[in-house]
Amino acid sequence: MPPPPPHRPTSTSTPSGKGELAELKTQLRQLAGSRAPGVEDLKRELYKKVISYMTIGIDVSPLFSEMVMCSATSDVVLKKMCYLYVGNYARVHPDLALLTINFLQKDCQDEYPMIRGLALRSLCSLRVQNLVEYLVGPLRSGLKDTHGIKDFSEWAQCLVLEMVAKYVPEDPNETFDIMNLLEDRLQHANSAVVLATIKVFLNLTMSMADVHQQVYERIKAPLMTLVSSGSPEQSYAVLCHLHLLVMRAPVLFSSDYKHFYCRYSDPSYIKKLKLEMLTAVANENNTYEIVTELSEYAANVDVAIARESIRAVGKIALQQYDVNAIVDRLLQFLEMEKDYVTAETLVLVKDLLRKYPQWSQDCIAVVGNVSSKHVQEPKAKAALLWMLGEYALEMPDAPYVLEGFVESWAEEESPEVRLELLTAVAKCFFRRAPETQKILGAALAAALSDAHQDVHDRGLLYYRLLQHGVETAERVINPPKQAVSVFADTQSSEIKDRIFDEFNTLAVVYQQPSYMFLDKEHRGAFEFSDDTSTNASVTESSETMLASQSVDANDNDLLLSASEKEDTRGNLVSNGSSSYVAPSNSLIDGLGSFTVPPAASSLPTASFAIDDLLGLSLSTNSPESTLAQPSLVLNAKPALNPGAFQQKWRQLPVASTEDYGLSSQAAANLTGPQPLLKHMQTHLIHCIASGGQAPNFKFFFFAQKSNASTGLGYFLVECIINVTARKCTVNYKTDESDLLESFAAVFKSAILNFGV
Amino acid sequence: MPPLLGIEFLCKVADVISEYLGGITEDLIKDNFVIVYQLLDEMMDNGFPLTTEINTLKDMIAPPNIVSRMLSVVTGGSSNMNTVLPIATTSNWPWRSTDVKYSNNEVYFDLVEEMDVIVNRDGFLIKYEVYGEIRVIARLSGVPELTMTFANPSIINDVSFHPCVQFRPWETHQQLTFVPPDGEFKLMSYRVKKLKNTPIYVKPQFSSTGGLCRVSILVGIRNDPGKQIDYTTLEFPLPSSVASWDLTANHGNISSSPGSKTLTWTIGKMPKDKSPCLSGTMHLEKGMDHLEEFPTLLVKFKIMGIAMSGLRIDRTDVRNVTYSPHKGFRAVSKAANYEIRT
Repeated sequence: MPPPPPHRPTSTSTPSGKGELAELKTQLRQLAGSRAPGVEDLKRELYKKVISYMTIGIDVSPLFSEMVMCSATSDVVLKKMCYLYVGNYARVHPDLALLTINFLQKDCQDEYPMIRGLALRSLCSLRVQNLVEYLVGPLRSGLKDTHGIKDFSEWAQCLVLEMVAKYVPEDPNETFDIMNLLEDRLQHANSAVVLATIKVFLNLTMSMADVHQQVYERIKAPLMTLVSSGSPEQSYAVLCHLHLLVMRAPVLFSSDYKHFYCRYSDPSYIKKLKLEMLTAVANENNTYEIVTELSEYAANVDVAIARESIRAVGKIALQQYDVNAIVDRLLQFLEMEKDYVTAETLVLVKDLLRKYPQWSQDCIAVVGNVSSKHVQEPKAKAALLWMLGEYALEMPDAPYVLEGFVESWAEEESPEVRLELLTAVAKCFFRRAPETQKILGAALAAALSDAHQDVHDRGLLYYRLLQHGVETAERVINPPKQAVSVFADTQSSEIKDRIFDEFNTLAVVYQQPSYMFLDKEHRGAFEFSDDTSTNASVTESSETMLASQSVDANDNDLLLSASEKEDTRGNLVSNGSSSYVAPSNSLIDGLGSFTVPPAASSLPTASFAIDDLLGLSLSTNSPESTLAQPSLVLNAKPALNPGAFQQKWRQLPVASTEDYGLSSQAAANLTGPQPLLKHMQTHLIHCIASGGQAPNFKFFFFAQKSNASTGLGYFLVECIINVTARKCTVNYKTDESDLLESFAAVFKSAILNFGV
Repeated sequence: MPPLLGIEFLCKVADVISEYLGGITEDLIKDNFVIVYQLLDEMMDNGFPLTTEINTLKDMIAPPNIVSRMLSVVTGGSSNMNTVLPIATTSNWPWRSTDVKYSNNEVYFDLVEEMDVIVNRDGFLIKYEVYGEIRVIARLSGVPELTMTFANPSIINDVSFHPCVQFRPWETHQQLTFVPPDGEFKLMSYRVKKLKNTPIYVKPQFSSTGGLCRVSILVGIRNDPGKQIDYTTLEFPLPSSVASWDLTANHGNISSSPGSKTLTWTIGKMPKDKSPCLSGTMHLEKGMDHLEEFPTLLVKFKIMGIAMSGLRIDRTDVRNVTYSPHKGFRAVSKAANYEIRT
């Protein structure tokens, strides 16, 4: 609509611009008082000119008073342009904005409802703090306006409902009044209105448990109708909300399970949600039907969904008391002889046995028939190995199956499987020593020469425990177990509550509280106190940032927690070993984290010659002794996403803190975070987050040693720099503590070289 | 940001644009850029959805037609914007303009029902629901007030209404009372669950051994709805392990689109005197002994003249006008998600 902008520089102080402005000013003045016919058209032309100057960046604010003077008109187009002009300059010139209050207030009482509305909107969007008081009156009369505002459109209803959801009623009667008034909104064709209404109902009744439950009953039907109508996008968004409610109160939905049956044509993301809901609502009355349904999906063409379905069956089994029928189903899966079905099922059977050891006979009989050749996935292998170790007595050929695994130790790629194998062999040994002795020796030898740190450490731990005495070792490696009663939830209830608080937002669709996916925008700016030495606030802010990732920590794979627990136990033993003493021909040269007293063997002599028993001679089986002092080569392209970084940062303790002084050139070069980032990158140290402004900067760096296994070998660095003091405080964290010194040296030389 | 607000609005924008331009494609949008721009300007105001009612929009922005295009070419004229604000924006019926005039007043009601059925491997009906809509075409002068009652409203499980429907009459005596928008609109949608008698049966049998799979699928009328079951097709996604097939039908024909592994058996009008049957063998790929995946059959059909849920409109009245309009009713039931697992 505006005429093509004249070609002139957009500077505010061009002489020609000034002349033009003066001309416009006079013209506007002339028109202001005029009531001649056609004057409105002339005004429109002038306004258009002014607005088009404004949009290309010329400062036309000197015309402010003239523009306001001319706005005494009934022409809607003129008004609209004038409001646009006013809205644009009010924020930058609050003094001028005061001039407009009068005429905007007057317009709020105009006879045309359209103008009243526009004026009220402009008044509200002035955004000048000391003018807020002038808003109250017009707003109040606006609310009482008889025209147009009476009935909100469906969109406006959404906004109003969102406000109502924040309202806290004075007493229960008021709550019921509001709900009665809004109940028909649940039947609105617009799903946005329905969802906004549901939010109001849920929020209002939060403290009234009974009514809250009734609300669930009331909103069920509309939600399910919305899921089955509308576009796939609508369906999915509504289904996510339904999912949230089902997860919060599965009992209330237990009779509606058929709604969560997957259709053949449903896309996978919908099927996945439905499977989770089916799992949640399963109880004594519907389990049989739900498990039957899930079993049908196990033969699904969509492998991912087939897997999910089997997992769902397992989860239902774990949350039920009567698992008789389910165990049969699971065992039938093994007979399908499909690799992925077998794999998923083995993992489940393992978990099931951890909770219901009484089922071992039935399960073990079937598992015993599974050919280990058909088990390829690491998780499934680990599960099978766990069962072989745990039920060595019940499975006649356990030692021989394990032997096969040990023989192919070198080909086994997954350290997870090798760890589990070692433990399984040890457990088997405690139960069937004569048959397993040789295998255990071979397994320990293989573990000790294993390149993977954890496998090696566990081998070493077992070896020494066995040296101590078989009974001691058994007490640590294979203590009597209690059946697991409840498996940990994948998502903490706090997170779930946070998502629920954000009902009817994207948080529900993403299944994450908003701070988790909005974080990025804030990530750039850390808050700094003036003095870097008072680190408290800095640490705190990073703590809160990191705490936001706590869900990930809980999200570990629960299914292997048995072995992980043993792991932890193992770690406890090895970490709490300040008084730990190594044998004289130390196996552990090069394990910097252990304290190795020189050549003093105070180890109590084992009650029998364990070396002989194991057929394992230390001198021939200690490859570590040939290991050179650790040398550090960094990975040129390490991968670590911010989430993983934060998780690691939270988990690891500060390994070391150093202060470095920076050169004056370095300080001079550090005008922003960028130069240092680039510099450190040339030293293979990468930045994951940076922030701050001169003189204070904060960086999070990371690096990874080359040839590290996935997810390991990282060095994390928090680096706080004060340019004025030319001081740099560095906190190191790492999961590779024996290489920390080398890395610190690399980092130090890198940062001291900056600007040189 | 409420996700559904965004999605609903986008759906509305798409609806309005296709109503204006007779479709929504890249080319149409490019050709009618000005109109699309004007529409968006009216529909979204200051970041909030504003006027999305098609009738109100039509009062403000004239849909493109040959006359207006000629006019703009001849006069070089600019705007198809109406300079006067439509009355509807501030009226009690924002979805309707008040000065609607027709020489023939008529109103049509269409009951459209979609069946959602799952039959499991053992032949049991595990889910049968109907999702229904009442679509109305109203060409009525003035501001008519319509009422509609059902003979059996109690079977309805859940409803949602067009904003024009008043809530109270429905709440108290299940009566729909509304001042209709002009033209076509969706008056209400509803859901009826836990239905029992499907109109047809499908009996699939697969027996596979030694790399061969014998197939027999029998289709027939189970509960005669009293009207012709038409446009019957059966989609049969072949399992991935099937190398070739040799299937024949004693009624209708079998086709498969090249590239996709889905067979379509078109039966058409369902015969009353016999049960169509598809039979033959499928050869599995080398090394496969028996079928490991079980296909899910999708059935489609249409039944004109009947609402499968059993919902019946009792009567409709038009008040507040001097004329008596022509009223028309239709019903159609479709199999939308009718799946048979094998």
